[in-house]
Amino acid sequence: MSRIKNFFKSYIDVFVLIFKEHFGNLHQIGKLSIADLKKTYNGSALGWAWAVIKPIFTLFVYWFAIAIGLRSGKDVGEYPFILWLMSGIVAWFYMTEIITGGTTCIRRYSYLVTKMKYPITTIPTFTGLSHLYVHVILVLVVIAVFWIMGYAPTIYLLQLPLYMLMMFLFFNAWSLFAGMISAISKDFANLVKSLNIGVFWLSGILWNIENIADNKILYTIMMLNPVTFICYGYRNCFVNHTWFFEQPARLAFFLGWYAVLGLLSIWAYKKLRKEIPDVL
Amino acid sequence: MSDTVIRFNNVTKKYKLYSSTRKRLLGIFFKKIKYKEKKAVDDMSFEINRGESVALFGKNGAGKSTVLKMITGVVFPTCGEITVDGRVSALLELSSGFDQEFTGRENIYLKGHILGLSEDEIKALEDTIIEFSELGDYIDQPVRTYSSGMKSRLGFAINVNIKPEILIVDEALSVGDNAFKTKCRKTVNNIIEKDNVTLLFVTHQTAVAEEFCKRGIVMKNGKIVFDGPVAEASEYYKTKYNPPKKKK
Repeated sequence: MSRIKNFFKSYIDVFVLIFKEHFGNLHQIGKLSIADLKKTYNGSALGWAWAVIKPIFTLFVYWFAIAIGLRSGKDVGEYPFILWLMSGIVAWFYMTEIITGGTTCIRRYSYLVTKMKYPITTIPTFTGLSHLYVHVILVLVVIAVFWIMGYAPTIYLLQLPLYMLMMFLFFNAWSLFAGMISAISKDFANLVKSLNIGVFWLSGILWNIENIADNKILYTIMMLNPVTFICYGYRNCFVNHTWFFEQPARLAFFLGWYAVLGLLSIWAYKKLRKEIPDVL
Repeated sequence: MSDTVIRFNNVTKKYKLYSSTRKRLLGIFFKKIKYKEKKAVDDMSFEINRGESVALFGKNGAGKSTVLKMITGVVFPTCGEITVDGRVSALLELSSGFDQEFTGRENIYLKGHILGLSEDEIKALEDTIIEFSELGDYIDQPVRTYSSGMKSRLGFAINVNIKPEILIVDEALSVGDNAFKTKCRKTVNNIIEKDNVTLLFVTHQTAVAEEFCKRGIVMKNGKIVFDGPVAEASEYYKTKYNPPKKKK
């Protein structure tokens, strides 16, 4: 009995520790996230513009391949396909950065681990924040484009910050877990990189999952995917005009995933925190 | 008043050595995966009081660096207890610990922020650090363009100027030319005397250690084999492990 109690206690201890490390280092997290952002765009002539150019170009390529090449991409409701695509893919741009970038975050900041005493659970947070700044700018661009095309913001946009927060927290847990594992071995980072492409095509970012709604089982499975949840959450705000509480099952599943991922990252922390400085 | 700032209680540090990184990855998930264990520090206990200056001697692989890293809080002991009381400033491998993409000046701020200093505090130290490092205009160039000597100088300048309470020096005083070396020694001596800083010093050059330290610890295979006044410790180390060589 006491063994089970100790087991739970050890998990709660790490959970509390992560909170403490964050609230004790808010100042550092803020500064380091800005530094990380600067580092990403420093040293290139166009600098900051890349934060916008790259996603716009990617969006255009996908749109061209699907709407022009495959002659697919019908309008979704009253919205043209490209707007529908844009509203979901803007979230994906953040998620893909964190899925792959988060995996290497501890390795990239190895000097914070091996050369000084620094709370390493905050490394995923500040690298995630630095991407979030860019993401917020892109979201504002998307809102502006919708507006220009004649679709003024609706009241459903109010839930966007909530989806953003859920996305940030979810992928923060992911980075912590994946970052620690890949600090031990690079193989994991390569594995994630390959899987990332699969996640992209299976999450209904480019094609509308509603199209397969007649296949109930497949549709349900697809909707359980947390990436899909976030992506279609964004589309709820922009295109589908649905509140998050109107889809309680999806939300519950997402939170379930989040709990699992959270436990996994605590497990990884307990197991690897002492080992990471020895191997980096 | 002599209060203990560093205390080691039966500290042991084992490194796990896997035959490949793949095995290491599998080792996370399966307990069966085999690995060798290397004891770097073996059941070590000692105390260091505030204001003491201690030299650590030992051959390569004796576990000195592991001890220093554990005091810094970078490396964790496998078992045993370590208590450290005070802001540790470590001059471990001076040339690293910078963000390569940032300029020297940005790195000063970054380091300061990480250590929890406020913007104003860093600003107050900025000029002293830059002047001390003798980097001149290079301070606004990315650190990746620095030579190893320049990095070391900057590292040294930052670490001694942020008002440490415990200063850890790992063979770092051999940085730069003679003039710079002298300056470093003077500064270290200065902060030991003035600010009651605790110094831990690792070196193979016993003469330098005798200049700074009053107490000497000799390590062998992760254990303390001698602990006492520095002159005796260096004598012990010289005769046992480092038979006198011909002149350099």
